[in-house]
Amino acid sequence: MAGQNVERREILRMLSMAAAAATFPAFSKWSFAGCSLPSSLAQIQPAVYQPLFFNAAEYALLERLASIIIPTDDTPGAAEAGVAEFIDVMTSRDPDLQRNFRAGFEWLNAHCKKLAGRPFLELASAEQISILEPLAYRKKFRPGEERGRSFFTLMREYTVMGFYTSEVGLKELDFPGLRFYAESPACPHQDDPEHRHLPPPQF
Amino acid sequence: MPQQIFDVIVIGTGAGGGMAIKTLSEAGLKVCAVNSGRRLDPQKDFRNHRMPWEMRYRGFGDPQTRIPSQPDFVNTEYVSGAWEHELVHTTAPGTQWLWPRCSAVGGKTNFWGRSAARYAEIDFQAASLDGVDVDWPVTYDEMAPYYTRVEKMIGVASTLQHRPSNPDGSYLPPMNLRCFDMILQAGARKLGIPYLPDRIAQLTVEHAGHPACHFCGDCTSGCEVGAFFSTPWFLLPEAEASGNLDLRTNAVAKNVLLSDEGKAAGVAYIDRTSRQEYEVLGRAVVVAASCLETTRILLNSRSSRWPQGLANSSGQLGRNLCDQMYAGVSGYLPQLLGQPSFPDNVSDSSIAWMPRWQNLNHPREESFVRGYSVYPDGGCWEFPAYYDDIEGFGASFKREMKRRYPTPVSLMAQIPTLPSTKNYVDIDPEAKDSFGIPKLRIHFRWGENELKMWEHAKHACAQVLRASGGVVESVDEEPQLPGYSQHEIGTCRMGKDAKKFVTNQFGQTHDIPNLYLCDASVFVNGTDKPPVLSILAFSLRTSEHLAERMRWAD
Repeated sequence: MAGQNVERREILRMLSMAAAAATFPAFSKWSFAGCSLPSSLAQIQPAVYQPLFFNAAEYALLERLASIIIPTDDTPGAAEAGVAEFIDVMTSRDPDLQRNFRAGFEWLNAHCKKLAGRPFLELASAEQISILEPLAYRKKFRPGEERGRSFFTLMREYTVMGFYTSEVGLKELDFPGLRFYAESPACPHQDDPEHRHLPPPQF
Repeated sequence: MPQQIFDVIVIGTGAGGGMAIKTLSEAGLKVCAVNSGRRLDPQKDFRNHRMPWEMRYRGFGDPQTRIPSQPDFVNTEYVSGAWEHELVHTTAPGTQWLWPRCSAVGGKTNFWGRSAARYAEIDFQAASLDGVDVDWPVTYDEMAPYYTRVEKMIGVASTLQHRPSNPDGSYLPPMNLRCFDMILQAGARKLGIPYLPDRIAQLTVEHAGHPACHFCGDCTSGCEVGAFFSTPWFLLPEAEASGNLDLRTNAVAKNVLLSDEGKAAGVAYIDRTSRQEYEVLGRAVVVAASCLETTRILLNSRSSRWPQGLANSSGQLGRNLCDQMYAGVSGYLPQLLGQPSFPDNVSDSSIAWMPRWQNLNHPREESFVRGYSVYPDGGCWEFPAYYDDIEGFGASFKREMKRRYPTPVSLMAQIPTLPSTKNYVDIDPEAKDSFGIPKLRIHFRWGENELKMWEHAKHACAQVLRASGGVVESVDEEPQLPGYSQHEIGTCRMGKDAKKFVTNQFGQTHDIPNLYLCDASVFVNGTDKPPVLSILAFSLRTSEHLAERMRWAD
């Protein structure tokens, strides 16, 4: 049977083939997360993407919320990772998500109109943050905003899912997996089992 | 033309079936293997070397075809078409039960967790020690040579540990401990709790013609180079090389056929594609379809002669369903905050374990009988599942996610349930699957002993984490649903007394001498260890017994 007595060299060849074959056909839509395309920030034009489920206004709100949750700072954020595209693709295949996102957007805009007279996207950045903080931090929770909190939890969950499964997201974490080792990597601090004398944190 | 009569028909190609197929066909017997699914092509069907962004749904699977009631690995995008999405069981009121089924050739060995400890004398003779239930009809000394042969066949990495509940075997060099292992080990040591390399069937060096592992860490999506044991990589090629194997794929076994004399005569199966029913005839039948499916096939082989199910004169077929309860404590190690990432995920599951340390000096020193083990894991995994433990959003959230990356740890207890008359399976009188085969109905609840163990485990795991300088973030309020472990055991138990047990100590049914069972259904009770290594050892012993009998009959 193929694979028995495989030489190490042969394994490496198979692995490189697997990596090459991995370009998913529908990948153009994932351009900002994909490894096969240039990843410089200048390339990024999320507006090119045609949403499968959300309408233009909803999609703009989705993008804004994702960018607030994981912003672009000295490293790429949700925008560069194509998080809104990911959420749109997942939502297009899931009626429960469709209901929950749509109802959440409606709640958020109604809530903003009530508190600030305008829908979310028309508020200044600082106002947007001050609307979201009571939904996100236990100490700032306010009664009557339970639906908003559960929507924010959903929005945050899907943003995290989308960001940390993208190339820029895993680069952000410096995900060390899917590499090949001659032996299983061992703790490099064998003389310090309790790890009390590590170098200062890098991050 | 008269239909071919095989020497043996084997239902199933997983650990039990695969070992039976290899052993019997190499003994010169003509074997027909009946498998409900297709053959997988490791190069095509295993996507373990893909990054999540290389898949349309980032590895989470298509939401439209997900089954929410099944664990994530059934819905995964990293493997195509191996896990069944159809449920073939119902549950009695008050029962919840997950039944992930892998129909592909090789069954769950394609994706298993690779933890491979031997059962011990205190497992086989537990009833004599604590007075609960019954002993196994075998001793450890009888089984030890089979365990050794299996370990040499499949390759198990570990160390010699000299513990009463963990007999040492024949091992390849162990996997290395990682930073979080070292920290937890130091914490556990302060409490006198063992923290040791697990017995793990992952090839740390080349072994028996199979390549060494390259530690990419995606084992549970399948291995396309065969660097850990699965029957399609290890046992079936040898069976096929013997020239004595006829492997029928997409053949969904329906029932065992009986001759006029009341002996097993073959197997009826339905072709998955054409939905036609076929019969295949043999001089002996081995059922190794996994614990619950084996039981379902026997119950569905009812006839006027066997109104309660085949080989069920004892009334014990389907009784004493046992499971392993999985529940855990998670948190993080502040020592590692902000440290550079480290390739911790080399195995997709634990490489160390805290083997049973309870009730070893005296079988009744705790408030429960028997014992449990704990699997620790953590470090830099692909998906940062700890996000729920970090509040808020924005740049501070993003920074904290990064700082925490090397730190998360979880300690998961593997807790055996005790056999109970309340936990059993029967055939649902109404529900049928898409092949028209009656579904299994499951009656199961956690019992007092396992719930007491869970209470004990919660405290012990939290203590270990704290003694390691760690922070406890969450303690599971509920264990995983029953069935989650996929370690179901005991619905066709083995024992010497034909009135009380379905099979004898060789897995041969008491009622029908040419009908054998080769999976965990014959096990008497669960232990703190996972069952695969023992399924292989018992199947080897059973198959040699059967081959010997057939040689003698000739």
